[in-house]
Amino acid sequence: MSTKKIERLIQPSGTHFVGDGFRVHNIIPGSEGLSMERMSPFIMLDYNAPYYFSPSETPRGVGVHPHRGFETVTIAYQGKVEHHDSSGGGGVIAEGDVQWMTAASGVLHKEFHEEAWSKKGGIFQMVQLWVNLPAKDKMSKPKYQALTNKNIGKVVLADQESMVEVIAGQYAGVTGAAETFTPIHLLNVKLKKGMQANFSFPAAYNTAALVLEGTVAVNGTAVPTNGFVLFENRGEDFDVEATADAVVLVLSGEPINEPIAAHGPFVMNTREELLQAFNDYNEGKFGYLED
Amino acid sequence: MNRFSFTEYLTSNAGLDASLVSSLVSSCQTKQYKSGDYLLREGERSLHSFFIEKGLAKMYGIDSRGKEHILQFAPEGWFVADRESAYFQKPATCFIQAIEDTSVLLIDEAHILEMARANPGFLEFNNKLLHNHIRHLNNRIYQLLSATAEERYLSFIKTYPDILLRVPQIMVASYLGITPESLSRVRKDLAGKHAAR
Repeated sequence: MSTKKIERLIQPSGTHFVGDGFRVHNIIPGSEGLSMERMSPFIMLDYNAPYYFSPSETPRGVGVHPHRGFETVTIAYQGKVEHHDSSGGGGVIAEGDVQWMTAASGVLHKEFHEEAWSKKGGIFQMVQLWVNLPAKDKMSKPKYQALTNKNIGKVVLADQESMVEVIAGQYAGVTGAAETFTPIHLLNVKLKKGMQANFSFPAAYNTAALVLEGTVAVNGTAVPTNGFVLFENRGEDFDVEATADAVVLVLSGEPINEPIAAHGPFVMNTREELLQAFNDYNEGKFGYLED
Repeated sequence: MNRFSFTEYLTSNAGLDASLVSSLVSSCQTKQYKSGDYLLREGERSLHSFFIEKGLAKMYGIDSRGKEHILQFAPEGWFVADRESAYFQKPATCFIQAIEDTSVLLIDEAHILEMARANPGFLEFNNKLLHNHIRHLNNRIYQLLSATAEERYLSFIKTYPDILLRVPQIMVASYLGITPESLSRVRKDLAGKHAAR
């Protein structure tokens, strides 16, 4: 086993609004060297770093929109999101929870700040990740995995305070709460200052880490808050040490080596499939949902 | 929403030779507009047609009661111009506004006329564009006079496959000359037909 070295350290720059409820840094694929192909199966990562939303009677968010061909993973750190879809499904993603939505053949949904939270306002912090699906599963049936924090397996570290939450994949013998289509490890790493956690993933897996809180040293290299670390596709092992109390999202997945044709909310394999997706959406084949 | 370069457009659609393409492109100015910026306001005089390389614009008028009517959407690869101003050199009768951050080529109308005079191939291409535009307008007038809301909607999604995902419904309704409620009903009915299958 050898060390997985840092290929690139990215400090996200500009932010933009998704709808009026999510103020995000787009990290994948918007940053240099982080194309969909390079990061596969992680084809999009938006990070809403802590941001204060003033109280609002009308919840802010994103209106009705479709998805096809991939999964959306919403990880709530602060604040609450309410979602509804065209099949009548809905729910609330609260702090510490994760929603793993398999859009696959098509979902029409909307996402807003939860009503009571919106009325109070507060600090909002969230990650939305898009996970690609292999061609054979792109048109499978949509499904949800609502993972509440208490159902997410945790590995408590030696200080009894630091921990690794296993959203998907494995860590130290604990299996993740989410079922995935391709091998993926998604870990929420919460470290007290001075604590260290070690990781080992296959060399070929595309692997990265996002520092959400505090500061860390990755293999001894300092990474500031909001820093995004991309690892080389060589070596397996790396370590993360908290230089201040820290929260780090670690992602590692086997690349899906298939062509990507992506446009807006659709991620398919060919241009024809993309046009089909637009057509199906326009013709109402994703169902109907009131704004 | 990929960039659609003007050079590429002229080379692949107009069959013009490279020197002509580069002469036309080099006479054009590229300008970036933020969402909400105006390319042209009613009453202004502009000597330009616009070619959208990236982003989205709308051309619209405002009636005496203050209501907006959208005549045309212009996504990547489309031309948009207020003829009153660009060709007839009178004050513009319409607004042209970016509704996404938009990269636009400003095409000097005088240069187009000059090129058309000097080059039969270009004249033919320009005529074809103009006739295509007239055909589009004819279809649009006929639809507004005769078609049901659903027929207008189905024709709209053929013309503009991705616009529904890029603009609020109220703009689509304005383009179709129907109320937003009526557009909602059409879309709901279409979804219902698919669900019933």
